[in-house]
Amino acid sequence: MAYRVLITDDSPAMRAFVRRVIELSGFELSHCFEAGDGEEALELLRREWVDAILTDINMPGVDGEEFLRRLAADEMLRSIPTIVISTDATENLISRLMSLGARGYVTKPFRPETLRSELERILGVPVD
Amino acid sequence: MTDTANHQALHGAVVEVLEKMFFIDAGDEAGDAPVSDTALTDLGVFVQVAFHGDPPGVFHMSLARDVATRIAADFLGLDADSVTAEQVNDVAKELANMICGAVLSRLESRATLRLSTPDLVDGDAAVLPGTVCAVETGSGILTARIAMEKRECSPTAKSAS
Repeated sequence: MAYRVLITDDSPAMRAFVRRVIELSGFELSHCFEAGDGEEALELLRREWVDAILTDINMPGVDGEEFLRRLAADEMLRSIPTIVISTDATENLISRLMSLGARGYVTKPFRPETLRSELERILGVPVD
Repeated sequence: MTDTANHQALHGAVVEVLEKMFFIDAGDEAGDAPVSDTALTDLGVFVQVAFHGDPPGVFHMSLARDVATRIAADFLGLDADSVTAEQVNDVAKELANMICGAVLSRLESRATLRLSTPDLVDGDAAVLPGTVCAVETGSGILTARIAMEKRECSPTAKSAS
């Protein structure tokens, strides 16, 4: 099965990198959407269904924390599993974001296989 | 925090980020005398990341533009010839952000810290006090600096840590 994934990050370079490492890792991707902040991501999610969301935290406009809050408040969107990707590994922040509904947390820097295993875990993909 | 500890954290963070995110094996330090930032002013990329908390400070990264271009190409999976100046700057800011975060994690000082958005700065701003580490990336030298404000070591603060 191939999956539809949304990458939310204000850095085009980071979005391109995340997309590239997902593909390099061998994760089965059918479509990869991109958004520059939480607002753009929410607009996209009103038009397109995705299986998983990867989001940065520190973004201008609607940041990752507010994005998670709005996802949780939306009956249609709250079930989409979300992974936070951030350089900020502060325990307080991680637990706050998990309590807002994030299912996973990947700290930068990370290896491609780390991102793949987190994606597979939150999607319940059987391990080979 | 000793200068040696800061230096080890700086070097370890640069190597870790380059290896994991840029697929660059950059173990070697480029000697005690890092490339002069002044010499790079016209041809360099300089990024600064301030961090706020206990203690606050500033992280700074500098590298020659051709080195930054090759690193950006590695990051994006593109040929160096096709990488735009905007992409080079964008990747350099990401690189600095990740190194700064990794340094602070190694110094176990992340509990109350927040990183600011990385900014491109003039080369002259690179002349900062603090711990310096220059690493050979295979394409050229990357110089990283970190300057942290001195903490007052009170008995209360010590027992709380």
